[in-house]
Amino acid sequence: MSGIIETEVKDNGIAYLKMKDEKDKNTFSDDFVHEIIASLDELENNYQPKVLILSGMPDVFSGGAEKQNLLDLCDGKIHVKDLLISERLVNTPFPVIAAMEGHAVGGGFIMAVCSDIVIAARESRYGVVFMALGFTPGMGCTRLLPELVGNYIANEMMYTGKTYKGRELAEKNTQINYILPQAEVMTKAENIALQIIEKNVKSIQLLKHALSAGKKKLLIEARVQEDFMHKLSFAFPETKKTIEELYRK
Amino acid sequence: MDKEKIYAVIKKHMLENLEDLNESDIEPQKSMKDFGANSLDIIEVVSCSMRELNIKIPRSELADINTIDELADKFIAGAAAGGINVK
Repeated sequence: MSGIIETEVKDNGIAYLKMKDEKDKNTFSDDFVHEIIASLDELENNYQPKVLILSGMPDVFSGGAEKQNLLDLCDGKIHVKDLLISERLVNTPFPVIAAMEGHAVGGGFIMAVCSDIVIAARESRYGVVFMALGFTPGMGCTRLLPELVGNYIANEMMYTGKTYKGRELAEKNTQINYILPQAEVMTKAENIALQIIEKNVKSIQLLKHALSAGKKKLLIEARVQEDFMHKLSFAFPETKKTIEELYRK
Repeated sequence: MDKEKIYAVIKKHMLENLEDLNESDIEPQKSMKDFGANSLDIIEVVSCSMRELNIKIPRSELADINTIDELADKFIAGAAAGGINVK
């Protein structure tokens, strides 16, 4: 483990998974994807927490896809692996609270979409920027995003690729549980977690199993279409040019 | 395209996108970062301004700009060139 993911399980049953890759802004490098999945496996297998709080850094929750990976996809060298994160999150046996103090874009925002309870910050920005980079949305976005924000807001977010301030989303009547001042995001997540841990862990797991069934089904449906669209859209010559241009520092 | 108009458009989008900013606080010789803008805020302000002014300048040409005044100058140059399409 290279220390970009930090996990902690408290005696009371609250688990914390903190993404803290300062250098690469919690983007999905191979190491990052591997560590997220390994950390969730470890939590599930060794600790059986009652609830997980998934958080990032104060300024960035997650930046989503990484440039080199996207370019390799364009060249047909690799296949999309980010979906692994969506599947892993949806398949956790405990509820996940996404506490997004900082920005979440692209796949980073989809991590929240795959969670059970979502808290965002008024000052931070959130968006599914796939189309701005030239290719179609992935990670289950096409099916799961409408669940969180509603069909028509999801359409707007996907087609425009715009990043919205939390306070803009607050006016849109989405299903995001709370959109709060950044400093209050973690406190709210912990408050909800404290209410959950009062419940019987076996009943929590049963409920999670039932509530996640719909999401698992949507993810399977999404995968078929999104994989197909990726095969086409990553191969467009314009896509590679757009990625190289927009990721320039 | 006159600079006052460009400056007014940039200011409008800064006010829409940045927290706790008053119009009277904005100084052209400063960077948007001085007013609390982060990188995603700056992208949004610049994209919205270019869209409204109907100019297109590649991101690579915007990377070295440090102040709001320099951004306005870049927009003027971009408008004079008839816009440079990235795509």
